[in-house]
Amino acid sequence: MAAPLEVRDLRTTLFTRRGEMPAVDGLSLTVGAGETVALVGESGCGKSLSALSIMRLLPDPPARIVGGSVLLNGRDLVTLSEEAMLKIRGQEIGMVFQDPLSSLNPVATVERQIAEVLMAHTDLSRSQARRRALELLEQVGTPDAARRLDAYPHQLSGGMCQRVMIACAIACHPSVLIADEPTTALDVTVQAQVLGLLEHLQVDSGMAMIFITHDLGVVAEIADRVVVMYAGRKVEEAPVDDLFEAPLHPYTAGLIAATPVPGAQRAQRLADIPGMVPPLNALPTGCAFAPRCKRVMDVCWKEKPELTQPAPGRMVACFAAEKDAA
Amino acid sequence: MERFGFLARFARNRGALAGALMILVVALAALVAPLAFPIDPLRIVGAPELWPGEAPEFPLGTDSLGRDILAMIVHGARATLLIGLFASAVATLIGVSAGAIAGYFGGWIDETMMRVAELFQTIPNLIFVLTIVMILGSTLTNIVIAIGIVSWTSIARLTRAEFLALRDREFVQACRAMGMSNLRIIVGEILPNALPPVIVLSSLVVAGAVLFESAVSFLGLGDPNVASWGRLIGDGRQLIRSSWYISAIPGVAVMVTVLCLNLIGDGLNDALNPKLRDR
Repeated sequence: MAAPLEVRDLRTTLFTRRGEMPAVDGLSLTVGAGETVALVGESGCGKSLSALSIMRLLPDPPARIVGGSVLLNGRDLVTLSEEAMLKIRGQEIGMVFQDPLSSLNPVATVERQIAEVLMAHTDLSRSQARRRALELLEQVGTPDAARRLDAYPHQLSGGMCQRVMIACAIACHPSVLIADEPTTALDVTVQAQVLGLLEHLQVDSGMAMIFITHDLGVVAEIADRVVVMYAGRKVEEAPVDDLFEAPLHPYTAGLIAATPVPGAQRAQRLADIPGMVPPLNALPTGCAFAPRCKRVMDVCWKEKPELTQPAPGRMVACFAAEKDAA
Repeated sequence: MERFGFLARFARNRGALAGALMILVVALAALVAPLAFPIDPLRIVGAPELWPGEAPEFPLGTDSLGRDILAMIVHGARATLLIGLFASAVATLIGVSAGAIAGYFGGWIDETMMRVAELFQTIPNLIFVLTIVMILGSTLTNIVIAIGIVSWTSIARLTRAEFLALRDREFVQACRAMGMSNLRIIVGEILPNALPPVIVLSSLVVAGAVLFESAVSFLGLGDPNVASWGRLIGDGRQLIRSSWYISAIPGVAVMVTVLCLNLIGDGLNDALNPKLRDR
């Protein structure tokens, strides 16, 4: 069976007064049924923009998809009309956002939020939608779900709000779920619950999931494969265990080194990556990571490294890694 | 519980409570007018220019033609309130639709609609109302439409501002990610959030509409078949030096009603504005 979601060479450019900025630059990504692919990188490296490009939710202007394709169950979303996209969003792709409280309508009850999604995509009546909303709330593990139906978002905890968001996202059984930092705004304990819930739902339904995060601990927990992004490009892709065991790209290695390990000596400082993600309108001509890279070589300043496949299932775009492999 | 809280917050503003009670009295008068005074209030029923209290059957006296002023006031309440409410409804309907579309879509749609709104704002309101009424003819419906056309711009601007602030909020993006159409998002998701300040403004437009109608009727352009307060003031103005009560009684009615409507607007603002809630 073909993978539910296949992104090929996706390019999204921001057309602004300060020039054209390649926000997503040739991203390719395949997510199989029941598989979780984590999209990892620092702030501003194009993770969220990639997700919004897949959903075709970026405002045009300034953002426009200038190339590539997004195949959802064999259909190319990039060329679809806006009306057709309305049916796809929420129905075939669900999305969960970072801040659950601000992602819910402050003046609508939980029941209405879920029912709105159902009624936008199905022919359910109000009372049927209410019953279905209750089922969904129970499915996402809401204690005392019947009473929560009439609650407003501000009366719920962050974790509860995120459960409601997830209920909205899976209401129509999408084949792909995009979770954009769904646990970043939550307490660590609640975070674990929500991750458990997402995994559980995925096992039940066989959804494909893209999980966007900058937290490598979360990645280790939930992902099957990891795609590391930097400045709008994919720099490394690997199965999750291989990635943590032997990162090929110096950026990935830096990210892993910058993650605190419990039990490590306190005196030991966390290794940070010097510098910041370069602004998109001032990308260097060579590798975008070169100015921050410990293993930078002459060629890195002149040419952009292409993605290579050093081992089955692994990909990396780095001259230093190529040298290691040779 | 929510509803109750709203009422409690409204009632905490004493002025608003008094205003609401007074308007309730006026509304009640308007409601029972055909029962209490079943004959046409514009019919001549007694001697002309009886002062209030002069004859027991006419507590507020009679006007220059011998018509019962109390009957005309009570029937006038009907016309005045209806015009106020419907004109405000028309203005709110136009204003909210225009403002919502302009604020939500932005870009050239916003530019165009706001320029049109400005065009309306440059014309002096009263002259605009009079012009429309003269062209369309002096009927209640036309006066309502005229006042609505003149009053929608401020509501449109307010609605637009609210939509501009709300449309980039995350929950709107979440709605779009769930595949809701623009119409569904505008009406079902953003509008309920934008409504509170708009309701306050609409209640003030009712007061404005009452004044507009009075002015139009005073100038003799009102519906000739309806005893509105403005018309009573206008009818009495030639006798202002001898029988001043003929103008003064409906004048007080207009003043009290408009004042009460403004008080209600203030109370609604207190009750609906979340920033003032904890004061």
